[in-house]
Amino acid sequence: MIIELGHYALVLALATALVQAIVPIAGARRGDRALMELASSAALVCALLVAFSFAVLTFAYVTSDFSVRNVWENSHSLKPLIYKISGVWGNHEGSMLLWLLILVFFSALVALFGRNLPETLKATVLAVQAWIAAAFALFILLTSNPFARLIPAPGEGKDLNPVLQDVGLAIHPPLLYLGYVGFSVCFSFAIAALIEGRIDAAWARWVRPWTLAAWTFLTAGIAMGSYWAYYELGWGGWWFWDPVENASFMPWLAGTALLHSALVMEKREALKIWTVLLAIMTFSLSLLGTFLVRSGVLTSVHAFATDPTRGIFILAILVVFIGGAFSLFALRASRLKSGGLFAPISREGALVLNNLILTTATATVLTGTLYPLVLEALTGEKISVGAPFFNMTFGLLMLPLLCAVPFGPLLAWKRGDFTGVAQRLFVAAAVGLVVAAVYYYVMNGGPVLALLGIALGVFLIVGALTDLVLRSGIGKVAGSIAWKRLSGLPRSAFGTALAHAGLGVTLIGIVAVTAFETETVVEMKPGMTVDAGGYTLRFDGMRQGRGPNYTEETGHFTVSRGGVAVTEIWSSKRLYTARRMPTTEAGIRTFGLSQLYVSLGDPMTDGGIVVRVWWKPLILCIWGGALIMMAGGIVSLSDRRLRVGAPTRAKRPARLALGAAE
Amino acid sequence: MTRKQKRLAIIGGGIGFLTAAVLLVMFAFSQAVAYFYVPGDLAKAGLAPGTRIRLGGLVETGSLKRGEGKTVTFNVTDTLGTIPVTYTGILPDLFREGQGVVAEGAFVAGSSVFVADTVLAKHDETYMPKDVADRLKAQGVALGGKENIQ
Amino acid sequence: MLFWILVAILTAAAAVVLILPLMRAAAPLSSPHSHDIEVYRDQLEEVARDQTSGLISGEDAELARAEIARRLLAASAADTGIQSSGPKSLRSNRIAQLFVLVSLPAVGLCLYLATGSPGVPAQPLAARLANAGEDINILIARAENHLAANPGDGRGWDLLAPIYMRSGRVEDAVAAYDQAIRLLEPTPARLGGYAEALIVQSGGLVTADAQQALKKSLALDPNDPRSEFYLALGLKQEGKQQDALAAFRKLAGNSPADAPWLPLVNQHIAELSAGQAPAGNTMPANPTSEDMAAAAQMDAGDRQAMIRGMVDSLSAKLKENPANFEGWMRLIRSHVVLDQRDKAREALQQGLKAFPATGDQGKQLLALGRELGIDADGEEE
Repeated sequence: MIIELGHYALVLALATALVQAIVPIAGARRGDRALMELASSAALVCALLVAFSFAVLTFAYVTSDFSVRNVWENSHSLKPLIYKISGVWGNHEGSMLLWLLILVFFSALVALFGRNLPETLKATVLAVQAWIAAAFALFILLTSNPFARLIPAPGEGKDLNPVLQDVGLAIHPPLLYLGYVGFSVCFSFAIAALIEGRIDAAWARWVRPWTLAAWTFLTAGIAMGSYWAYYELGWGGWWFWDPVENASFMPWLAGTALLHSALVMEKREALKIWTVLLAIMTFSLSLLGTFLVRSGVLTSVHAFATDPTRGIFILAILVVFIGGAFSLFALRASRLKSGGLFAPISREGALVLNNLILTTATATVLTGTLYPLVLEALTGEKISVGAPFFNMTFGLLMLPLLCAVPFGPLLAWKRGDFTGVAQRLFVAAAVGLVVAAVYYYVMNGGPVLALLGIALGVFLIVGALTDLVLRSGIGKVAGSIAWKRLSGLPRSAFGTALAHAGLGVTLIGIVAVTAFETETVVEMKPGMTVDAGGYTLRFDGMRQGRGPNYTEETGHFTVSRGGVAVTEIWSSKRLYTARRMPTTEAGIRTFGLSQLYVSLGDPMTDGGIVVRVWWKPLILCIWGGALIMMAGGIVSLSDRRLRVGAPTRAKRPARLALGAAE
Repeated sequence: MTRKQKRLAIIGGGIGFLTAAVLLVMFAFSQAVAYFYVPGDLAKAGLAPGTRIRLGGLVETGSLKRGEGKTVTFNVTDTLGTIPVTYTGILPDLFREGQGVVAEGAFVAGSSVFVADTVLAKHDETYMPKDVADRLKAQGVALGGKENIQ
Repeated sequence: MLFWILVAILTAAAAVVLILPLMRAAAPLSSPHSHDIEVYRDQLEEVARDQTSGLISGEDAELARAEIARRLLAASAADTGIQSSGPKSLRSNRIAQLFVLVSLPAVGLCLYLATGSPGVPAQPLAARLANAGEDINILIARAENHLAANPGDGRGWDLLAPIYMRSGRVEDAVAAYDQAIRLLEPTPARLGGYAEALIVQSGGLVTADAQQALKKSLALDPNDPRSEFYLALGLKQEGKQQDALAAFRKLAGNSPADAPWLPLVNQHIAELSAGQAPAGNTMPANPTSEDMAAAAQMDAGDRQAMIRGMVDSLSAKLKENPANFEGWMRLIRSHVVLDQRDKAREALQQGLKAFPATGDQGKQLLALGRELGIDADGEEE
C-alpha cells in the first residue's frame, strides 16, 4: 500500500504543480496578493509530496520490494545497503524522479528564502518553476513511471550494473542535478522578468545567489564525475569530451558567463537583455543535456537508458520551453531598457570579454557535440568528434580568457587604467615565469608550451591573491589597518579570488598531466619491476579474493624509491557474479599531488600478466582546483548583500532562513 | 574616441573574435574528426594510409589472440568484410568475442592491418555501439536476443 | 479501503494548505518597487563603507553614488505612479478555491487510476521470505540464495530443477538437472527430467543429448515408461517408423491396463500403423502438448503438488454442484491415490448425500468405498 501511496503522492504533486502554475500568474496580473501567496504554499506542498514519493521509492529499494518493476530491474537483495539506495537514481526512472525532486526543492527554497523579492516577481518565478515541474512530472508518470508494478513479484532482482556500484557514482548524479536543475531558478527569473516587462539592477542581485548555488553544485558534480571516471573506468583518463560530459559542461560554461554578466548588471545596469538571454540559454543547455542523456540519441559511455518514446516526450518539453522562452524573449526584449555605458578598458569591458569568450567556447562545445548527430540525420554519414577537435578549438579559445582573468578584478568600473593594472600584475607574471623555470629545471626539460601553461596557472593564482593584497593595502599601510581592511572586504571579493585561483590550480594540473604523464604497458611476472615517475614498482604476484557480490583477482605491487620500499599498491579485476560482469579496479597511490595508477590487463599463458602503469604528475590539482572554485562559490554565497531587498526587514541582520518560514 | 567609435570598436572586436572562432571550428572539423566505417565499407572507401578512422563491428569469434604479449590481435567483422586489428594495451572489461566493438586508429601504409590506439566497448553487456547496430541492421545481420539495441 | 482513506486525507491536506492563503484577508500589496529601493539603499551604504575603508577613491565614490541615486529616484518615481490596489473582490478567490478543490482530486484520481495499481500491497522481500506460502518465485529465490552460497548441494538442485521446469525457466532447469546429476547419482527420474528439459528447450525435438540421457536412464531402470516414451518419440521424429512402432508397442505391453498414458501411446501406435502407407510424410513430428502431459504423469513424484491442486479444484466444483456422479467417483479415487483416506471418506459421505445409497448410483459409490477400503460409517443403514 505504501508504494501506491507514494505513486499517488507523485500524481498529487503534478496536480499541485498545475495549480501553482496557473493561479499565481493570475494573481500577479490582477495584483491579488492572496492568489500570489498560494504560490509559496503550493511550492512547499509540491516539494513535500515529491519528497514523500521519492522516500517511498527509496523504501522499496531498501526493502527489495520486487513487486515494483523498477526495483526488480535495478536492484538485488544481496547488494550492500548504500548501493541499494544509490540504485534509486542509478536508472532512468529514478534519476528523473530525482531531477523532479531537485526542481521542486529549489522551488521550495525560493518560496522559503525569497522574502526579499517583490511579491509579483516571486509569484511569477514560482509559477514558471511549476510549469517545468508539471511537464516533468507528466513525463515521469506517462513514460517513465518508477512505480509501475510487477505481479506476481519475482523472487530476486536483476542487479545494478557493477560499474555503477560505486560511492562516487552514488553522489555524482545528485550533485550534477543540483547544478543542472538549479539553473531552472535563473530561467524562471528571466521568464518572470520578461512577463513583467521590468528588469533592473536589483533583479540581477536577486538572481545572483541562485546562479551561484547552481554553479557551485555543478562545479562539484562535474569534478566528481571526472574523478569517478578516472578511478573507476581504469583507463587513467579524467576527461573524455564524451557527449554526456559535454552536456553537463555546457551549462557550466554558460552559467559561469551568467554569473559574470549579472555582476555587470547589478553594478552598472548594463547588459540587461544579454543577461536575461544568458539565463534562458543556461537552463536550455541543462534541458538539452537532459534530453541528450535521457533520450538515447547518443551512445556514449554514460548512456544507460534508451527508449524512443521517452526521447520524443523530452524533445517536446525541450521545444516547448526553449522555443517558448525565446519567443517570449523576442516579443518582450525590446521593452527592456538598456543601461549604462562604459569604456572597453574597464571592469565591465573585462566581463564582456569573459562573456564573449565563454559563450563562444560554449557554442564550440555545442557544435562539436551536436554536429555528428545532425550530420548523421542529414547525410547518414557517421563521424566521431573527440578530444582532438575540442582541444584544438576549445583549448585555443580559452587561452586569451585565462590570460585576461587576473586583470578583471583589478580594473575599475566604468573606465580602467590598463597600464596601471599591468604594472601591478607584473609581480604575478614574474612569479609565474620563475615557477615555470624551476619546474623546467626539476623535470629536466619539457615542452615549452607546457611550461608556459604552468606559468599561466601560477599567474592566475598569484594574480587572484594580488587583488586581495592591493585592496587591503598589505605592505603599504600598517599591518593592523591592512588586516582590518582585509576583514572588511565583502565576502564576494574572497569568493572571486578563490574561484580564480582555483581555476589556476586546475590549469596547472591539466597542463602537468597532459605534458608530463608517463604511461607504460608491460607484461610482468612475479619479481619483475617497472619504473614510473621516479618510483620502482615490483610485481609480487596475484591473489584470489571474494567480496559480497563479486570475486576478484588482485595483483600486489611494492613501490620503492631509490631501493627503499615506500608503499604498496593493489590493483584488481573483479567479476560480479550476478551478471558475470568483469570490472577493473585500478590501484592508485597518491604522492603529494601526483599519483601512480596501475591497472591490470589479461593474464598471459605463461603465468605473467599485462600491467599498465601511469605516472600522473600533479593530477590532484585538477580536482583540487575545482574544490577551491567551489569554496569560492560558497564564500560568495554567504555574502550578506545577496539577501537585501525585503523592505520591512532590511535593517535587521539577515536571518531569512527562519524568518521566512513562518 | 567618441561614444560611437567605442561601440564600433567593441562590436568589431567581438565580430572579429567570433569569425576567428568559426574559422577555427571549421578547420578543426576538417582535421580532427574521425569517420566511422564498418569493414564492409572499407573496400570502396579508398582511404589514404594513416587516416584516422573509427572501425566498428563485431569481434569475430575465435579470432582473439591474447596472452602472448601486451599486443593483442583480433578481427572485426560485419559479415561482409573482416579486418585484422592489432592493439597494444589493456582491452576494456567488456571486450568479448561476438560482441560489438569500436576501434579507433589507422591503417599502416602498405598493410591491411588496422592499428588501433583506442578500443571501446561499453558498460552494459548487452551494449552494441549504435553505429555498429545500425550498419549491421542495414546489412540484414540478425542480432538475436539483444533487445537493448536501439 | 484504508488506502483510499489515506488518499482522501492526503488530497484534503494538500487542498487545505493551498486554500488557506485564499481564505485570509489579504494584506495590502507592498509596492513592487520598495524591494528595489532597499537594494539601491544597500548599494549606497556599500559605497560609503568602501570609501571609509579606503577601497575606492572619493571621486569614484561620488560617481558611483550619483549613478545609484539616479536608479533610486527612478524606482521611487515609478512607485508613486502606482496606486496601491485596494482589497480585491472575493470572487476571484472563490474561483481560485473552486479550482483547487476540483483540480486536485480530479487530476489526482484520473491520472492515478490510469497509471496506478490500487490495492496491490507492498511486498518487501524480508516479509515474503518469512512467509513464503504459495509464492513460487520466493521459494525459488530462497533456494537460489541457498545454492549460491552452497553450490555443492546436489539435493537443492534436484528439488529446484522440476520447479524451474514448471515455471517455464527451461534453461535454468537444464542447468539444475545437470548439477543434480553431477553432484548426486544419476537416477531415472533425474535423467528423464533432464532429457525432458532438453526436449522443451529445443522446441520439442528429442535431441542427441536428450537421447543419450534417456538411454542412460533406461540402463538404470529398463522399465521407466517416460524414457521409453521419449525414445520412441525420438525414433518417430527421425522417421524410423518401424522402430518407433516397436518401441511404442513394447511400452504399451509393459504398461498396466489403467496407465493414464496408455491412450496416447495407443494413438501413436495407431498413427504409426496407419502411417505406414503415407510414408512419404516423414517430417519429424514434434510432441504435442498431450504428449508432454502424458509423459508428465509418468513422473508421479514431481507432479504430486499439481495433482493435489487439481483435486482441490474438483472438490470445490463438486461442493458447488454436487449432482455430478462421475466427479464424486473420481474425487474419492484421487484422494485414495494421494493417500488422503480421511478426505476420501468425507468425499464419499458428501457424494452419498447427493446420490442416496438407496439409488443405483449411491450403491456404486458404496461399492467403490468398499473396494478402496473406506467405509462411509453410519451412512450404511
